[in-house]
Amino acid sequence: MMSRGLSVAVPIVGNIQDNNHLVWFLQGQTLLSVPGKHDKVPVTVAIVPCKCPETLEKDRGNPIYLGVKEPEFCLFCTKVGDQPALELKKQNIMELYNRPEPVKPFLFYHNQTGRTSTFESVAFPGWFIAACATGDCPLILTQELGKAYITDFEFTTLA
Amino acid sequence: MLLLLLCGMSIALPPFIRADACRNISMLHETPSAGQPFAFNCTYPPLTFRNVYVTWYKHPSKIPISKNIQSRIHQDQNWILFLPLTWEDSGIYHCVINDTNTCHSIHVNLTVFKKSWCSASRNSQPNLLDEYKQILHAGNDDSLTCHLNFPRSCVLDSIKWYKDCKEIKGERFTSVGKKLSVNNVSAEDRGNYACQATLTHTGRQYTVLNRITVNITEKVGNGRRIPKIIYPKNNSIEVQLGSTLIVDCNITDTKDNTNLRCWRVNNTSVDIYYSASRRIQEGIENETSFQDHKFYTVNITFLEVKMEDYGHPFTCHAGVSAAYFVLKLPVPDFRAYLIGGLVALTGVVVSVLCIYNIFKIDIVLWYRSAFHSTGTIEDGKLYDAYVLYPRPQGESQSHDVDTLVLKILPEVLERQCGYKLFIFGRDEFPGQAVANVIDENIKLCRRLIIIIVPESLSFDLLKNMSEEQIAVYNALLQDGMKVILIELEKVEDYTSMPESIQYIKQKHGAIQWSGDFTEQSQCAKTKFWKKVRYHMPPKRYRPLSPVQLLKRTPCDLTAGTWEASVGFITP
Repeated sequence: MMSRGLSVAVPIVGNIQDNNHLVWFLQGQTLLSVPGKHDKVPVTVAIVPCKCPETLEKDRGNPIYLGVKEPEFCLFCTKVGDQPALELKKQNIMELYNRPEPVKPFLFYHNQTGRTSTFESVAFPGWFIAACATGDCPLILTQELGKAYITDFEFTTLA
Repeated sequence: MLLLLLCGMSIALPPFIRADACRNISMLHETPSAGQPFAFNCTYPPLTFRNVYVTWYKHPSKIPISKNIQSRIHQDQNWILFLPLTWEDSGIYHCVINDTNTCHSIHVNLTVFKKSWCSASRNSQPNLLDEYKQILHAGNDDSLTCHLNFPRSCVLDSIKWYKDCKEIKGERFTSVGKKLSVNNVSAEDRGNYACQATLTHTGRQYTVLNRITVNITEKVGNGRRIPKIIYPKNNSIEVQLGSTLIVDCNITDTKDNTNLRCWRVNNTSVDIYYSASRRIQEGIENETSFQDHKFYTVNITFLEVKMEDYGHPFTCHAGVSAAYFVLKLPVPDFRAYLIGGLVALTGVVVSVLCIYNIFKIDIVLWYRSAFHSTGTIEDGKLYDAYVLYPRPQGESQSHDVDTLVLKILPEVLERQCGYKLFIFGRDEFPGQAVANVIDENIKLCRRLIIIIVPESLSFDLLKNMSEEQIAVYNALLQDGMKVILIELEKVEDYTSMPESIQYIKQKHGAIQWSGDFTEQSQCAKTKFWKKVRYHMPPKRYRPLSPVQLLKRTPCDLTAGTWEASVGFITP
């Protein structure tokens, strides 16, 4: 398994925050966006590109898997009622990477412009990962851009 | 009164609101500072976006927090509000979120720290846990945020910004709403900041102070997001069929990129395209981090190059960038072949020339014996050579010369090899004038053989001889005759010789006599005679009588050619 097309040995790790100095923060099994504080250490996120993007849309950004390094969670898009929702699932990110087919619920189009990044659900195109502007609330999926929610984030690598 | 109120509330609350029966979502930790307002919002999106029922409790009390806005601690919509927070407020609080058929609860562990502010910092340790951490980007316009999260009933205004306890002033800083804009951020903007706001609630005013630790990040790159493939460069690579080949793709990209880097053929990943044979594989990616970029290397390995691989683009992809290489069969090196061929040819030519030089005489003699016509040459000449020799004064010298000229030369050249010589003193008719004899006969000869003896003896004789002068004159000027110079003994110094002899020596060289002067054992196959025969005209056989034939000793004729000669001449 290891030798089969494993061109990326490890995921890219880093922190995510936004323009309002709200950082992604793991509380139990919930990803929150909170004001960065000494007692609120930002979660270390892990990103790996999807190595078989042929069947996915081009020009929307890099299809990536997005997870939490410790404990091993991956962000996952599902439907709660009639609304797309963002969840955390216990999942090893490299296991997703090594699958021969893209696993759409775990995939996001990562679009970078300057310093800012957006993460659009591959399973629900048009829906983006969002944080509330005031902070102290869980990350959600929204299709209302530039309104009450922040969808522009800054990804900073730790390496 | 209080009892009545509690009773009234418990009646008003529906019976399903029971915190311990609810699903615990999370346990949050908050470490606010005492002496200022504090608020916490109970949110659980998307549940709390709708009209849900939220109730706050302080553990272990089952009594909800008051909703009386005059109360120091009270619930305001989904918020719990402390106006202000005091030491005694530490503890576990929880909110219960009730929907029509769901119940969730969020716990908050509140640890209140002593308030610290510049004036009091001398004696009290600042509450670091309550400090915000914010980052400004060097070289850019950026902003700090004063996080003031309170319910709508609170009015926040008069926000002031401080750095190191001093109020911030200056053109680069602008306070806009809850933000402080900082133009052209530099490393000097790092430090301890504070924002202070006035909170007004039901006519009462409070002061909220947030401490912020500000760090500066270095200016990163120039905003170029497109990965750069340094190699390959849409080039071709010469490779032998069947060999192993590893080609690196070298890429530079931004540090925070999430681009996929891979090798593709026919727009398919090589690992998938060659998944059955694994003959062509992609290697593991290596990365090196630099201050403002990363350098990546990912290789492609051909375990064995096959014919089908040639002329096929193998493309390295890095995000939106791509570059390929094409395999090419090596072109044969014509120049090397040409040089090799020339060297070999030169070698062969040199060897042939060396061999020819060493065996020249033998080859020429063999050729003459094998192929040369035995017919007479129709050139009007009667003799093959005119023999010119001195008559030394010394007895022994004179004897040697006579022996050579009158006995040995005729024996070998005439009898064994069939040449006809004109020897003065043997072949002239008696009574003829010497000058006439020489002049007439030398014209009938093809070669001139000059016998010379060392100068001390021969000098004067040869020099004064009219015979010699006539012969040499004829040989050199008139007929262009070839001269064979035979030294009886080694002549060290030619300078005392006549100039004509010097000239002949220089032009034709000389053959030195070797052997003794006995008549026996002279054979045409010895080295000396081979040299002489080489300079003689190609051998021919005049018709001889059978008696003469029998007398001849076949020196260099094989039986076959001998018989052939006989067959030719007998009819």
